[in-house]
Amino acid sequence: MTITKSQLSLSRETRKKMVPYLLIAPVVIYYSMFWLFPVINAVSESFKNVDGVWTFSNYIHIFKDPVFYTALSNTAFLVIFSVTIEFLLAFGLALLINKKFKGSSIFLFLAMIPMALPAVAVGAMWSSGLATRGWLNSFLMTFGFIDDASKFLFLAGGKMSTLWLIIIIDAWTVIPFVMIILLAGLQGIGEDVREAGAIFGGTKFQILRKITIPMLKPTITTAMILRIISAIQIWLIIVMLFGFNRLPVLLEQVVLNYDQLGAEYFERIGLALSVLVAIIVSAAAILYLKVSGSFEKEEKENG
Amino acid sequence: MANVLKRQIRRSAKKTSLYIILVGIACIIIFPVFFLFSFSFMSDYETYSEWPKPLVPSFKAHFMIDKDVEGYHLFIFNKSEDDFMPFGPLVFTNNEKDVDNLRKFIKLQSNCKISSQQIVEYLEVVDSDSRVEFTIRKDLLANYILFFQVVNGAPKAVLNSLMVAGATILISLTIGGMGGYAFARYFFKGKNILKLSVLFVRMFPAVSLAIPMVIILAKMGLYDQPLGLSLVYSVGQISMSIWITASVFMSIPVSLEEAAMIFGTTKVGAFWHITLPLALPGLAACAMYSFIGSWNEVIAAVVLTQFNPTFPVIVYKALVGSQGQINLITAGSVAQAVPAIIFTLIIRKYIIQMWGGVKV
Repeated sequence: MTITKSQLSLSRETRKKMVPYLLIAPVVIYYSMFWLFPVINAVSESFKNVDGVWTFSNYIHIFKDPVFYTALSNTAFLVIFSVTIEFLLAFGLALLINKKFKGSSIFLFLAMIPMALPAVAVGAMWSSGLATRGWLNSFLMTFGFIDDASKFLFLAGGKMSTLWLIIIIDAWTVIPFVMIILLAGLQGIGEDVREAGAIFGGTKFQILRKITIPMLKPTITTAMILRIISAIQIWLIIVMLFGFNRLPVLLEQVVLNYDQLGAEYFERIGLALSVLVAIIVSAAAILYLKVSGSFEKEEKENG
Repeated sequence: MANVLKRQIRRSAKKTSLYIILVGIACIIIFPVFFLFSFSFMSDYETYSEWPKPLVPSFKAHFMIDKDVEGYHLFIFNKSEDDFMPFGPLVFTNNEKDVDNLRKFIKLQSNCKISSQQIVEYLEVVDSDSRVEFTIRKDLLANYILFFQVVNGAPKAVLNSLMVAGATILISLTIGGMGGYAFARYFFKGKNILKLSVLFVRMFPAVSLAIPMVIILAKMGLYDQPLGLSLVYSVGQISMSIWITASVFMSIPVSLEEAAMIFGTTKVGAFWHITLPLALPGLAACAMYSFIGSWNEVIAAVVLTQFNPTFPVIVYKALVGSQGQINLITAGSVAQAVPAIIFTLIIRKYIIQMWGGVKV
């Protein structure tokens, strides 16, 4: 009698231990079926040619193609400048505003709109605005800033002005939101910490550099790396404004090769390119996990 | 006294400049969005024949018909020219075919509805009075209706998008919700590795998953099917759901479940009757997040669909392939944007938490 009872309680104990594993099993199965398997598949297929023979030719094609290097440098330019400018401006604005103000909930509401707009809507919005006979020139003409002869040819510029146009559009989409996040972070710090800094004789700049920024660091790094990851993947706005091949970037080249050129040879080039994009994004993601301290947490809990 | 006054002036100056900055930012945000909406209500005539283009869509159009030896002439009032301009066929007569063509032309170009009978009545007035002016109210939603009629497969694409979103929510919320509950309530081996991979999978580019999935889905018979696309979206959305539901379940105290169990329910009963109802708002936010993610996504949908595209793919292809006019495309993209904006605004607090890790 007692034996059966202890056996029963033991099995209940093991059953209890099983619960979390049963709960996470679907996640693990799903990830291995629809994430790990396709990723392995993609990597191995990218080393095969159309006839299924193992080869480096897809990658050789990419690395010999000058367009790839243009796409790479354009993407790097976009990432570096857009993320830096967005952060400086958003941080500056957040510091300027850093107060509880009336109508803050309406403002939050507004600041979310550009981020909430689907990418195709952003594309349609700016392509109707930046066309030579678009709303931006119409607006400037209606209010007498320019006349018909001096209207801007926004979309006809060279490579540099095209890149800056994309950076400005991206900034419009992102700055209000990043600013809101930084503002929330700033208000989480609290006035008393900064006041303490002031009592001990810190100047405004010293307080900013030694107190505010270090305390905001987790917020800044999280938002920044998530921004970098999405900036690497800019393509739709470029294609919607300029079409393919005007301003090559990495993801635009993936879609061009995979979807537009319409031959299995180019599909494989697109596949190999997508593997390269995955490597670049993964590097950024791992950097994020490292900076945010996810790795250290694990070591601590294990040790 | 002077000091107090000075301080007051300085304070109000500071406050004013703060509000000037805020209003400035708000204007920069609203300005382009306003024009997106504004364009979507404009007729072809306003979009292509007035320059500078009107900044706000008009609610009606003015027409004029006059007559000379050749026959009748139709004019429309052009705001930028501030005058009546020739509109439609150079000359027409009072017969059934001409009048019907005129009716169609007016509807298509100026989004104004007029009956053939009404036109004939105006022509009779012209006969006795030499000219007639009239005003018709514009059909503001005409572009929206036309977008779904003109752009190939647009209504079906909306249906596809809804099905993809529905399936994605279902898959990611059940699988992710179970995972999130495990993360919130239990310690288990490999928890941290799983946590890291959840974060990693969330950031993995969708296109790098979509391309190899083409062959896998083709083998499963799910290529170019809404369910197939939702299987790919669910990968990222499960991660998102684990993240959100874990924080939702963590905010519900375990003691509530324990209390219920003391009163005689099982663990499952306690979850079902206590935790789940409390978690419902958070789970709804999670579902909305999945909806936005799959409703807006373009690149995987481009890769994984052929004859059954989703709504954003239709809008994107209409613009890139210049299949439709810009006022139609803006109407399509507004239709696409509105649900995404509404859901984002409902769950804005969760989104901010996810980005900055700060509670607002």
